[in-house]
Amino acid sequence: MPPRLNIWPACRALTVRSRPLLNQSSCIAAQTQARRTFADNTTNTTSSSRQPQRDAQFNPALVPGSKAPAQAQPTSSSSTSSENEQAIGQLQMLAYGLNPFDAAVEGHKYGLPELPIPSEMHMKHRYDPVVVQITKLLMWDGKLSKAQRDMALILNYLRTSPPPKVDPSRPLVPGAPPAHHLPLDPVQYLTVAIDSVAPLVRVRGYKGLAGGGASLDMPIPLAARQRRRQAFQWILDAVNKKKSKGSGRSMFPHRVAEEIVAVVEGRSGVWDRRQMVHKIATSARANLNHSRLKKR
Amino acid sequence: MSAPNCLRGLGLGLGLTRPVALRNVAVTAAPCAAAAAAASFSTSAYLQAIIARPKKKAVEVAFGHHRAGKKMKLSKFKKANKGDRGKAPAPGERKAYRKRILLSNNNAIPVAGLQDFAPETMLDPSSAAKVLSIPDAVVDQLRTIEAFKTTQSWSIFRKPSMLVRAETVELATRMQGAAANKQALRLVATGDKLTGKSMLLLQAMTHGLLNDWIVLNIPEGQELTTASTEYAAIPGTANPVQYMQQNYALRLIQNFRKANEKVLVRLMTVFAHPELPQNIPVNSPLLQLANSAKEPENAWPIFQALWKELMAPGRGRPPVLFTLDGLPHIMKVSDYRSATFEPVHAHDLALVRLFSDCLSGAVAFPNGGAVIAATTRSNGPRTPSMELALAQREAEQSKSVVPAPEAFVKYDERVAAALRTVQVMRLKGVSKLEARSLMEYWAASGVFRTTVDEAVVTEKWTLGGSGILGEIERAALMTMRL
Repeated sequence: MPPRLNIWPACRALTVRSRPLLNQSSCIAAQTQARRTFADNTTNTTSSSRQPQRDAQFNPALVPGSKAPAQAQPTSSSSTSSENEQAIGQLQMLAYGLNPFDAAVEGHKYGLPELPIPSEMHMKHRYDPVVVQITKLLMWDGKLSKAQRDMALILNYLRTSPPPKVDPSRPLVPGAPPAHHLPLDPVQYLTVAIDSVAPLVRVRGYKGLAGGGASLDMPIPLAARQRRRQAFQWILDAVNKKKSKGSGRSMFPHRVAEEIVAVVEGRSGVWDRRQMVHKIATSARANLNHSRLKKR
Repeated sequence: MSAPNCLRGLGLGLGLTRPVALRNVAVTAAPCAAAAAAASFSTSAYLQAIIARPKKKAVEVAFGHHRAGKKMKLSKFKKANKGDRGKAPAPGERKAYRKRILLSNNNAIPVAGLQDFAPETMLDPSSAAKVLSIPDAVVDQLRTIEAFKTTQSWSIFRKPSMLVRAETVELATRMQGAAANKQALRLVATGDKLTGKSMLLLQAMTHGLLNDWIVLNIPEGQELTTASTEYAAIPGTANPVQYMQQNYALRLIQNFRKANEKVLVRLMTVFAHPELPQNIPVNSPLLQLANSAKEPENAWPIFQALWKELMAPGRGRPPVLFTLDGLPHIMKVSDYRSATFEPVHAHDLALVRLFSDCLSGAVAFPNGGAVIAATTRSNGPRTPSMELALAQREAEQSKSVVPAPEAFVKYDERVAAALRTVQVMRLKGVSKLEARSLMEYWAASGVFRTTVDEAVVTEKWTLGGSGILGEIERAALMTMRL
């Protein structure tokens, strides 16, 4: 049903104002300034020619019961306190259409955090991503807090161990800091060690594709997380074959940390495993354009 | 039935599941195969050939055991031999590795302008909220009396350094005041976990050693009461029988001698000690008396003689500082048993009794000194009597309402008596100024890799439960929760 044609809806758009609209930006500051001055000083310094009635409204001298000491008070410019002046300045900025409140400064004791908020400010992402991943790999039986203690002990060991002597035949990952910088930043020490021995690829076998039941090997690139996982699994394999030196809960992390130092110094057998995988993957590169693979 | 199927059936029928056996059959059955090809299919010739074999053992090899599936095989439960694991560590070696204390880290950057503690440093209120390092000579002495703990993170800094907090200055001032009045300061440091109770004890010992006090330290109260060291009844004691712990006493004397050598060598004996097997004439150095403790058998009498000498009035003896960490462990019934298998109260162990008597004021210190104990929270047994006594002393000191004992808790009268007149110092969080000075030291050591400004200090101070020192350390230094 179409709406009825009526004159009354037109009235809704009509606004009736009992007073004329003020030009906000121009007069708030002046008005407040006048009020401020009155609070301190009864002498009216602002020109009241423009709005005589309005000023008169707020003049405390006119309020019955209040005294109006005229000459005893100093002049307004010297009597206005710094807070007042600051407030007046802010109002003035408001009047100019500027925002006087810088959110990074005003109202916050230590300012606002930089945006976007860095991930370590989130409770669940407060640790370095490598540390989180490796901690989970250290975990047995779902006991994360034990694994975290182990990780803390590993990092402490790295912090206190002497700077590693890097073997030039086993170069660290490009961009690694010099060896003597590593112990003071144990997280980076760990990251450098793991990234240096991380394999670039894994070799996947396609069963029966090479003919005669033989599997066809193919190199598959790994993502950064996968590479780190593989590297740390190899490190853990080496650690589990090591003999414990002492007793107590700090022995497993000490062995892990020793193996990490060994990796950076090029003594670890993990390097050979990495080399072997790369060698196989290099020879398997020939299969990349294998005809049977294309048919799949 | 087709031929290939039959052959497969033949293999199964003969029980040739294992590949080894199959290979043997293939070799031995070659003549039979020809016969089978000539005649129609039959297994009888094959079986006859097997029966005709001379050795039974060979049959077993070919067929396996006649009850192969039912034979018990224990070897499948055995773990795989992991090869030679080398020589096992010697007894005590593992524990030594676990308990070793590293006091230096060469990776940490030496802090420029770090000052050493001087004898008066801790008395000076202006040294509050400063980090100062322990002089090397004192470090050796403190290490000898086992003042450093494995749980403290000395191993990540270049040199052992400590924050002087307001409580440190107050404690040192009280110690000095008591020594000046020829009295003993009897104080218990208590507080929440990780508030620095053991560290305050360490600071008291440092102050004592720097000022040539005699320092005697029991590093862990639990070593005395958990029945981990030998004990024997002291002859001539009854109601209740008292026990000496000779091995512990020997170790205590030896550590005490090493740490206080400098002072002991210039103190002379004033008593003859006829009860000792060694002849220690009057006016011989106390060091000689301490040196005479070589065997556990006479360690306790020598300890008593040493104590008597140190407490000799009016002979210019220095003040004595007697400290113990882990107070709740000695404020309960110990794990030892008497000859009639009754539990032995910790205060019936002679060494513990000496400490508790010092704490209660029953033993006078005519040359002045201090008896300081620290409670422990993370490894402490619950001792309601001690907790109540400390709460009461604290309330008395602050002139607030003294807590009443609970109706349904059994309190220990001996514990209450030992703690009736002690002073209690409750450690809380440090101020932001103190936290800042500590964090600046960490940053200067290169361990804390952040600009130390007000925001960071406030953040870590807040994360550390309003300035609990150990928690600040966890929040700032440890990459992960330890």
